[in-house]
Amino acid sequence: MRYLPLAPSEDRALLDVIGVDRAEDLLKSIPEALRLNRGLELPPHASELDVLRTMEGLAGANRPFRSRFLGAGAYSHYIPAAVDHLASRQEWFTSYTPYQPEISQGTLQAIFEYQTMICDLTGLEVTNASMYDGATAAAEAALMGLRLNRHRGTVLASEGLHPHTLEVIRTFLAPREGLALVEVSLKDGLTDPEDLRAKLSEDVACVLVGYPNFLGCVEDLQALAEPIHAAGALLVSVTQEALAFGWLEAPGHVGADLAAGEAMSFGNRTSFGGPFLGFLAARDSGKREMPGRLIGQTHDADGRPGCVLTLASREQHIRRERATSNICSNQALIALRANIFLQLAGPEGLRGLAEQNAAKAQYLREKLLDSGCFEPLWEAPFFNEFALRCQGDVEALQHACREAGFQPGLDLGPYGWDGAVLWCATELNTREDMDRLAEVLGALPC
Amino acid sequence: MLNRNREPLIFESSVVGKVGMDLPHLDVPEARDTRPEHLRRGPFQALPSVSEVEVIRHFTRLSHDNYGVDDGIYPLGSCTMKHNPRLNERVASLPAFAESHPLSAQEDVQGNLAALFMLQEWLKEITGLAAVTLQPSAGASGELTGVMLIRAHHVAQGASRRVILTPDSAHGTNPATAAMAGYEVVEVPSAPDGTISFEDVVDHTGKHHPGLISLVETLGAEIAGAMITNPNTLGVFEHRIQEVADLLHGIGALLYMDGANMNALVGVARPGDFGVDVMHLNLHKTFSTPHGGGGPGAGPVACTAQLEPFLPRPVVVRDGSGYRMDWDRRQSIGKVHGFFGNFGIAIRALTYCLSHGGDGLRAATLRAIVNANYLRRRLEGTYHLPIQSPTLHEVVFNDALLSSAGVHTLDVAKGLIDRGFHPPTIYFPLIVPGALMIEPTESESKAELDAFVAALEDIARQAQSDPEALHRAPVRAPLRRMDETTAARKPVLRWTGFRPQ
Ligand SMILES: Cc1ncc(COP(=O)(O)O)c(C=O)c1O
Repeated sequence: MRYLPLAPSEDRALLDVIGVDRAEDLLKSIPEALRLNRGLELPPHASELDVLRTMEGLAGANRPFRSRFLGAGAYSHYIPAAVDHLASRQEWFTSYTPYQPEISQGTLQAIFEYQTMICDLTGLEVTNASMYDGATAAAEAALMGLRLNRHRGTVLASEGLHPHTLEVIRTFLAPREGLALVEVSLKDGLTDPEDLRAKLSEDVACVLVGYPNFLGCVEDLQALAEPIHAAGALLVSVTQEALAFGWLEAPGHVGADLAAGEAMSFGNRTSFGGPFLGFLAARDSGKREMPGRLIGQTHDADGRPGCVLTLASREQHIRRERATSNICSNQALIALRANIFLQLAGPEGLRGLAEQNAAKAQYLREKLLDSGCFEPLWEAPFFNEFALRCQGDVEALQHACREAGFQPGLDLGPYGWDGAVLWCATELNTREDMDRLAEVLGALPC
Repeated sequence: MLNRNREPLIFESSVVGKVGMDLPHLDVPEARDTRPEHLRRGPFQALPSVSEVEVIRHFTRLSHDNYGVDDGIYPLGSCTMKHNPRLNERVASLPAFAESHPLSAQEDVQGNLAALFMLQEWLKEITGLAAVTLQPSAGASGELTGVMLIRAHHVAQGASRRVILTPDSAHGTNPATAAMAGYEVVEVPSAPDGTISFEDVVDHTGKHHPGLISLVETLGAEIAGAMITNPNTLGVFEHRIQEVADLLHGIGALLYMDGANMNALVGVARPGDFGVDVMHLNLHKTFSTPHGGGGPGAGPVACTAQLEPFLPRPVVVRDGSGYRMDWDRRQSIGKVHGFFGNFGIAIRALTYCLSHGGDGLRAATLRAIVNANYLRRRLEGTYHLPIQSPTLHEVVFNDALLSSAGVHTLDVAKGLIDRGFHPPTIYFPLIVPGALMIEPTESESKAELDAFVAALEDIARQAQSDPEALHRAPVRAPLRRMDETTAARKPVLRWTGFRPQ
């Protein structure tokens, strides 16, 4: 077995020092009746080439597409070569959590820089080293909102959050007695201010709103913040496409007290939904209620600057059942990729790329409307995603797209918007592909 | 590789006008500005303007300040820092996997579903349990999922129970998880042999701690379950685990096993065979997926058929000749991840499984146990072994033999850094004062183990001859000891050197 440094003579030497005949003798502390007295019923070990063939066989059973128009929480973007190259250095990907700061300054400083940029993007002052993904980040944000507004027990969540995110929040809140999760309905693709006002009360700790929301619509956070703050509640923005921060004002500058979301778009692949990158940012006053790891700057015994894990008294290894969260391992390597991506992009690149995404989505929307297959659902502003009502049979339309090599937008029927399709365009979708897609759809009997 | 100086923060290299990414040619008209005025993105304050060369050098230089598994033994107890096979990385980056979309039509991702299903089957055979979900993102996420399954089970029985038992040797995520799942945590003391105590324990301060039997008697139907790590955080197999399960089952409670230490059991013993109802595995420990400087990992949960209906949605099932995501699970606890968990990590773990095969998995377990026992035998006497029980894949020493010279666990750790080694886990488990928790894994050769022993012996000698040198350590690392007190007292959690706009 190529991964094990096994050699009979050395094995003997090890066992002789220990003073046993066979390795199995070291299992005696496991009661005999509890030991597995047979081999695992699994195939035997295999060479690299054989395993690669098996796995390539599986990969080959996935359908390739020439262009994808599907977003809905997982976005295909171009990944600069430097991201893959740097992130595959063993110093980054094989190391552990930086518990020994003197030999982990690479990881620590990288996270410090990442924290700085997430704060910049969100317009807030504190963020952690990462959360599992956007959905769990939103759920942790709801719990953090409850801690920051300690005597309140209701969380309001806009129906415009990603349905999976809503389900994760529901799952996280369910076991907590005395807590309520109430949904605020949508009107014309946006959180309904009337319904929001009706549901705000002195028990509401925080309100979660998509920015942009699941349907791609850009919520006016500033307008929503007014009644929310007047009711003493916190506004939590939830962003499922972080590239939008190159197009839209930072949530912290337009009323959000907490910003959660998904940042996989920065240098990561869709990878069937994970590993992704959850972020959660807050104002400085909230730092002691933050879940997860925080990196802070300090100096060493010689006064040289460096970074360490800090404010650990919030965390499970110190505070145990009173910790702000149980999170331990996070998504560090995915955050590193986002970090490299953001440094390459810089302010110009991020803004420019976001503008290109907006341009592509606007072009695609016009093309799709021109194809005669769709009609608008609402006129809310959007970033790189938008929903349209399909005039014909959504299933037939999706089939035609896939046959033509295009991954179609999301059928919103199962999510409660019958006949609607959620389309996404990014810098990866060429004009040629979008024209061709419109042609394919135009030929359908809509 | 030596750095000239400490690498500055990238923000300090930023000069307006430099770019590290050229935008692609825009083949459609420029975007119309549809945003309300106040929602237009304002200026960035920190994002740096730097070229690609500078970014590559920045991350390359920073990487030189890290220690990785490829540098040598990384003996963090409880963390299972084993070799990360490169084949796993190659397979996970196959475009058909890496570029697949989680909301694809199911017939378009049959390869993904088959891979997930296959991994589930392997984990079922390895754990001896009936069902597996791959959705949890890490160990702690698996724990939360598992404890929620326990809660769902009790709710379905019409019972409300309020307590989860955890041993005092438990990892912090166990009590934190129980609290997140709405439970009160009651601690069970450890017996002198390091395993969970059935009898009451009086500690050195004279304080009385009810043991498992008393707790089961007094709390009875208030107990929802217990979370037990096996082998425990001392590396000791909980030899009475079956009795623990029977006691719990007798009062209608369930047994959760923290499987962080499964590297001691794979192919050797199966939790499903000793009464465990639900457990998690850490793919980033036992199944060789890289730790990435802190993540991502994956924490699949395995459970009995009784708990299966409550698993997070969706569940991957085989349907005739194909595979499908079953969303129609009325008793499901819901979702614990936005999609299906860390798929890319599952692919790596499956690749690891196929490479090892059933025989290789068992061989790896045995070698991990041999390596740990070799270190134990070589270091016993030089370092104090507070618990004498036989150990499996890891061993916990402490600083009792050095403290008369004024040398403590932290000094030993920093002394190892100066000798080119990553230190073991320190000050955990909490029940061993000054713990040095060593887990070599199966990846280490005899030569590497011997070099590590020699370094620890050298430190023990220096503790007597020149303890001050150890207090000063490390002196050969990129930085000396860090001022963590100032970091916590005056937290600086981001760079704020930007010019006000
Ligand atoms: C015994 C034990 N339980 C649970 C965990 C938590 O696992 P994770 O970091 O993957 O959340 C760890 C990780 O160090 C552990 O050692």
